[in-house]
Amino acid sequence: MGILLFISVLLIAACGLIYELIAGTLASYLLGDSVLQFSTIIGSYLFAMGIGSAISRYIDRGLAYRFVWIELLLGIIGGFSSALLFLAFAYTQGFQLIMYVLVIVIGVLVGLEIPLLMRVIRGRYQFRDVIAHVLTFDYLGALGASLLFPILLVPRLGLVRSALLFGVINVIVALWSTFLFASQLAAARALRIACVVVLCGLATGLMYAKKINSAAEDNIYADEIIFSRDTRYQHIVLTRFKDDIRLFLSSHLQFSSRDEYRYHEALVHPGLSAIPAPRRVLVLGGGDGLAVREILKYPQVESVMLVDLDPEMTRLFSTNPMLTALNQKSFLSPRVHIINADAFPWVDASPDSFDFIVIDFPDPTNYSLGKLYTTAFYKAAAHHLSAQGLMVVQSTSPMFARDSFWCIAETVKQAGLRTYPYHVYVPSFGEWGFVLAGFREYEIPSSLPRGLRFISAEGLPALFQFPPDMAPLPMPANHLNDQVLVRAYDQDWKDISH
Amino acid sequence: MKLSRREFLQAGSAALIGLSLKGGRPIAGSFVNDNFQLGHQLRDRRQFAAPARTEKHPVVIVGGGIAGLSAAWRLSKSGFHNFVLLEMNDQPGGNSRWGENEITAYPWAAHYVPVPGPNAVYVRELFEELGVFNNGRWEERYLCFSPQERLFMYGRWQEGIEPGVALSAKDRDQFRRLEDQVKSYRATGAFTIPMQLGLSPQSRQLDQISFADWLRAQGIDSRVLTWYMNYCCRDDYGALAAETSAWAGIHYFASREPEEKGPLTWPEGNGWIVRRLLERVGRFVRSGQMVHHIAWEAKQWRVFAADTEYRADFVIFAAPTFLAPYLIEGFAPLQDFEYSPWLTANLTLDRLPESYGGDPTWDNVVMDSPTLGYVDATHQSLRTHIERTVWTFYWALAAGSAAQNRNLLLAEDWSYWKEAILHDLERVHPDIRDCISRIDIMRMGHAMVRPKPGAIFSAARERLRKLDGTLLFANSDLSGFSIFEEAQYRGVTAADKALRVLAGKPA
Repeated sequence: MGILLFISVLLIAACGLIYELIAGTLASYLLGDSVLQFSTIIGSYLFAMGIGSAISRYIDRGLAYRFVWIELLLGIIGGFSSALLFLAFAYTQGFQLIMYVLVIVIGVLVGLEIPLLMRVIRGRYQFRDVIAHVLTFDYLGALGASLLFPILLVPRLGLVRSALLFGVINVIVALWSTFLFASQLAAARALRIACVVVLCGLATGLMYAKKINSAAEDNIYADEIIFSRDTRYQHIVLTRFKDDIRLFLSSHLQFSSRDEYRYHEALVHPGLSAIPAPRRVLVLGGGDGLAVREILKYPQVESVMLVDLDPEMTRLFSTNPMLTALNQKSFLSPRVHIINADAFPWVDASPDSFDFIVIDFPDPTNYSLGKLYTTAFYKAAAHHLSAQGLMVVQSTSPMFARDSFWCIAETVKQAGLRTYPYHVYVPSFGEWGFVLAGFREYEIPSSLPRGLRFISAEGLPALFQFPPDMAPLPMPANHLNDQVLVRAYDQDWKDISH
Repeated sequence: MKLSRREFLQAGSAALIGLSLKGGRPIAGSFVNDNFQLGHQLRDRRQFAAPARTEKHPVVIVGGGIAGLSAAWRLSKSGFHNFVLLEMNDQPGGNSRWGENEITAYPWAAHYVPVPGPNAVYVRELFEELGVFNNGRWEERYLCFSPQERLFMYGRWQEGIEPGVALSAKDRDQFRRLEDQVKSYRATGAFTIPMQLGLSPQSRQLDQISFADWLRAQGIDSRVLTWYMNYCCRDDYGALAAETSAWAGIHYFASREPEEKGPLTWPEGNGWIVRRLLERVGRFVRSGQMVHHIAWEAKQWRVFAADTEYRADFVIFAAPTFLAPYLIEGFAPLQDFEYSPWLTANLTLDRLPESYGGDPTWDNVVMDSPTLGYVDATHQSLRTHIERTVWTFYWALAAGSAAQNRNLLLAEDWSYWKEAILHDLERVHPDIRDCISRIDIMRMGHAMVRPKPGAIFSAARERLRKLDGTLLFANSDLSGFSIFEEAQYRGVTAADKALRVLAGKPA
């Protein structure tokens, strides 16, 4: 019996340390600044353990019974802690509060378990042996956990499943204890049933929990993945390296927080500043709220309608503090109305008219997305454009996908609009292009909103100049029934990757 | 249902692991739109009740498919409104009927119209009226979206239905020779749509031999090319090349300019055109009214349908012509009107199979399958994200005797045909069973007329095409093959004939 008992000490010590490491790692991933995160988490965790130890003296009766329950609770709370923290990060404003509450609750429970255990087994050994054995195995467990965590658990299992696995170990210790301390337990049977129920819950969690970042995914992304989710429509991944947050949709980079202002200022201001009195703006795509952030710099704009397919995307960028800090809570503005719908049918059905339309869709990588780059689509969009209005289309790179860029420009033109293509340099993307279009002659605006970091009135005319290596190419327009763009895009990127 | 303890544990653990037991997914469905019972009442010369009332109209149209509806469209557009159209089925449309579920509308048979050539003036007129043809341009939304067609051969999908992968020098040479032949036939102008406008006695000898014999005589024996020729005959005529007139086989290729931008199509196929026609002439249409007897008496036509007798100066007979001997008093038995039995099915998919392969495509054909493959009804949707869809599965029972195949259609039950369809699809989509929740099947004993050798220039057809007298035949089967443009042409010209006589102009 002795060795079994001390192995359980080893195991619970490992569990306690793992939960602490998971909280620390998660906080560093999600919030950055790992020194601060680890220090504060270790500090509050140890402090909470002290509270647990202090409380232990008020527990007089049913020591074995309470020990089993503490193990069970640790199994549940610790086991689901990682999943809970990821959800809190994605869907609540209070990630840090929830994290510290969790760390403290786990710390208190871990602080309780060793003192209680020592009192349970007090009668069986000499006091000095109890202290020596328990502490020896406690520190051994800590060593094992601290080595396993970075070498095996994080790379192989990921954070969510590691926590669940150690939750299972906690519960196994609980179940095991009902046999070890059977003589001291009145309701052993009921406890065992509770253990089996919790075990099933955790096992189900383990079975269904996908690794937050699969080994394959780690190879795609250069930086740490801090959020990964398959929605009905796409695969959303956020990565972080120091202060650089990057968003990937179905593996395609959407922005890097270091230079996205270049892209979004260029997308919005050359057009919007040129409209005399813009009141109503439509954004198609752009579920990150970054284009909307730029649009809200115009006080005369009364309403911004944003149509994005994926509700998970707009919810994420409405609630997550790190992301709302990026878009300056643009989705929470009373001027902004979010509609989650498929863009083409929505544009067809809407009766509204707009002064400025931003068309910011993912690149035409397949025939489904290609429908949003056709003469039929631009005609439908132009239908909603006021006489003085302008429309801007993100049009991929005129440098890396030169055929595609000029194909989009030609398509907008054949939809009956006058086109004004321009381009900017965005370090994380490279040279990037846009097509501005309207019914009237476009005049480069002489003034812009204050506080822009990239676009300036003096610099604007140069954006409309294309050097010879990006100069216009004669391309056919893209039609629903003849999607030349998807083929051209495929070829363009093949040409530079081989 | 009572489960044993063991079964309960098995089911429970399977559910826990998230495995579904193979074949566990139930597929619902039934036969739909069956109307052979109605047809057999005519065949068996059942006695019908005496009419309860009589109506008089200068024109009665029998049959509410494209030919009948086009006749109605022409009459109504000319300002002539004193006519009725009698349709046997509850839903008009004939071979252009459609269905609809919570996912999409879908066709039951005809599902596209090729971009019409310059001779198809009535088709162009209709399409201009319907906004399909605007200011000299075909509306992009009604042209089939990319990617249009694909063919499964040698274990993978290729773009387009004409085989192009791994052709030998011999195959290529034969393709080229056939193309040259077609080009020279096209240049003669004898093969056009409507076929009546090109019909020339010089091409009569082509109607005397089968397309298979003609191909052989040209030295064409490439396996892939022969497959492709047979596929085309099955697709348009429901027959194998050996049972198709060489004239019809050549017409398939020589009547149209090879063009890349078509065809015109809609989620519900040609049902879209039927809907638009019904918006215009629906008030003249009486559906669920099976005509069971037509007689000429006292210089008037007496048309009996359900409980009503219609008296008319003109009958436009737009129903399949083979029904004429059963309906019309004193009508001599018909020669040269044979029809192909077909089966179509609409399959509701809750998701695309993992084995789909590539971007969703409109028309999907598998080489060496006895069926014609499937068409995706949501392909013309403007949505970018489509989870559930409906596939229309086409199967012309071309091999073997038409009569035996007709019997087979009636003899076997729904689950026999369901399994046959699934087996066919499993060749290319092994996981298809897990994706389908419903299969509805439509059986058509006489789906389309078969242009057998001799049919195009048959004496019986030439007589009925003339539109003399007051019984005007309008079904596309007079052309010898069943396509939208022919049905519309015959419906319109029959209506024109009636209008001219009624206006007192020389016929």
